[in-house]
Amino acid sequence: MNGIIITVNGKNYEVDGADTTISRLLELCQVESPEMVAVQCNGTFVARDAYDSTTLVAGDDVEFLFFMGGGR
Amino acid sequence: MNGFTSNAIHGAYPAQNAHGSLRVPVYDSVAFAQETSEDLHQAFAGRRPAHIYSRITNPTVTDFEQKLQLISNGAGVVAVSSGMAAISTLILSLAGAGTNIITTRHLFGNTLSLFERTLGPWGLEVRLADMTSPDTLAQLIDENTRAVFLESITNPQLEVADIKAIARVAEACGVPVILDNTVTTPYLFPAKDFGVAVEVLSTTKYISGGAPCLGGAIIDLGTFDWRKSPRLAPWAARMGPHALIGFLRREVFRNVGACMAPHHAYLHSLGLESMGLRIEKSCDNALKLARFLKKHEAVVSVSYPGLSDSPFHPIASRQFSQRFGGILTFELVSRGQCFAVMDAFRLIRRATNVNDNKTLVLHPASTIFEEYAEEDRRRMGVGEAMLRLSVGIEDYEDIEDDLVQSLARS
Repeated sequence: MNGIIITVNGKNYEVDGADTTISRLLELCQVESPEMVAVQCNGTFVARDAYDSTTLVAGDDVEFLFFMGGGR
Repeated sequence: MNGFTSNAIHGAYPAQNAHGSLRVPVYDSVAFAQETSEDLHQAFAGRRPAHIYSRITNPTVTDFEQKLQLISNGAGVVAVSSGMAAISTLILSLAGAGTNIITTRHLFGNTLSLFERTLGPWGLEVRLADMTSPDTLAQLIDENTRAVFLESITNPQLEVADIKAIARVAEACGVPVILDNTVTTPYLFPAKDFGVAVEVLSTTKYISGGAPCLGGAIIDLGTFDWRKSPRLAPWAARMGPHALIGFLRREVFRNVGACMAPHHAYLHSLGLESMGLRIEKSCDNALKLARFLKKHEAVVSVSYPGLSDSPFHPIASRQFSQRFGGILTFELVSRGQCFAVMDAFRLIRRATNVNDNKTLVLHPASTIFEEYAEEDRRRMGVGEAMLRLSVGIEDYEDIEDDLVQSLARS
C-alpha cells in the first residue's frame, strides 16, 4: 500500500494513505470505548462528530487521551 | 437493554472475566504493574488506558462508575469517597478566590458550612437565592459566577424547586447548574432531561444498599459547554466535552485524593442492583407515614412533598415520577418533646443518615445544624421542634406502631 507516516501518541505509525479517518485510526489502534477518549490532531481537539470526516495526512500528530478508568 | 434496573444489574461488565465471575472482583491493590517502562510512561501521560494507582483509577471502582454513567445517561463519572467529597472536589474544580456560586440557605448543613465556612476564607463568595423563584436568579449572576448549586429535595426543609426553570436561567447566563440528586437519585429524577450540567450524589444513601459504607459521585451529564467555564476552558480546548472529567481525573481529583475504596465500590455496585425496588418501598412507606402523622393529634405539622397540600406537591409530581422520596419532617411543640419521642422509639433508630434500609430519626437543630445560632437555623427553616424521619423499607405497620407508642408516651 502507499502508506503515510503519522504520529500516534508520540510514536510513528503507518496508515493507508487513502482516506484514513480518525474513526478508522481508532479501529486500527484497537481503542476500546472510543467514546471515552479525547482525540487531538496537531494539538487541536477533534469533536466526535468529525471523526468520519477528518482525513489524516502525512506528518499528522494524533493524540488519544484517556480520562476514565484504565484498560481491562 | 434500556431498563434502569437492567442497566444497574448488568452494566458494562465485560463477559471475558477469566472465571466467568458474574461480579467484578474487589481489586484491593494500590498499584498496577505495566509490561514495560514505555507502557508506564504512556499510562501516566494518559495516552494508554491502564490502571496505574488506585487513588486515580481502580478496576472495581471503574465498573461502578460505568454503571452510574449508564443509569444517569451521563457523559462521564468520577466516584469519590463521600457525598461531601463530591461537592468539595467539584467546587474546587470550577471556582476559586474572587469568584462566586449561587445557592440557597435551604441546604444540607454540612454543604452550607463547606461553602461559607471552609471555602469562604479561601475567597469564595456564596450568594444565597430563593430557588423557588427561578426568575430572581439572573440578578445574582455576574461574570464571576461559576455555578448554581441546589438539592433536588432540600434536606431537611423538603423544598422542591423547578429545576428545569433554574437550568434555563443559568444556561442563558452561561453558568452550569450543579444538582445534589442524592435523595431522588437518577431513578426518580433523570437530571439530564432537566438541563442539569453536573449531578453530585452521596452514594452512601440509597445507592449503597443500606449504608454499609461511604461513597459519592460526580456525574458530568454532558449538557454544558465547558468552554464557557474560565477554569475549564483550557481543558475544553484539549478534551472538548470531556474537559470536566479530564480535569478532575488528571488534576483536582487526583491531587485531592478523595478516592473511593475498591471494596466500597463493590458494595455500591451490589446496592445499585436493588435500588429501584428499595426506593419504591421507602417512598410508599414515607407517603403512608406522612398521611398518618398529619392526622395525629400530637403532631403540629408535617412536611412531605407527597402530601397534596404541600406547596411543593405540584412541581414534585411533575419532576419525580409521582414518588416523593423517603424523608419527611414533622413538628411537635418543643425540643424537649422531640427528645422524649425519640427516646421512646423501639424500632426507629436515633442516627444521622438518610435513605438507609432502616427508619432513622434525627433532631436536626441539635445535630447537623448545631453549629449555627438559633436565629440562623430559623432562617434555614430548621425549627427547634422539628424531627426528621428517614423512612426505611421495613414493613409499614411496624414503623407506624413504633410512632404510635412513642407519641403516646411523650
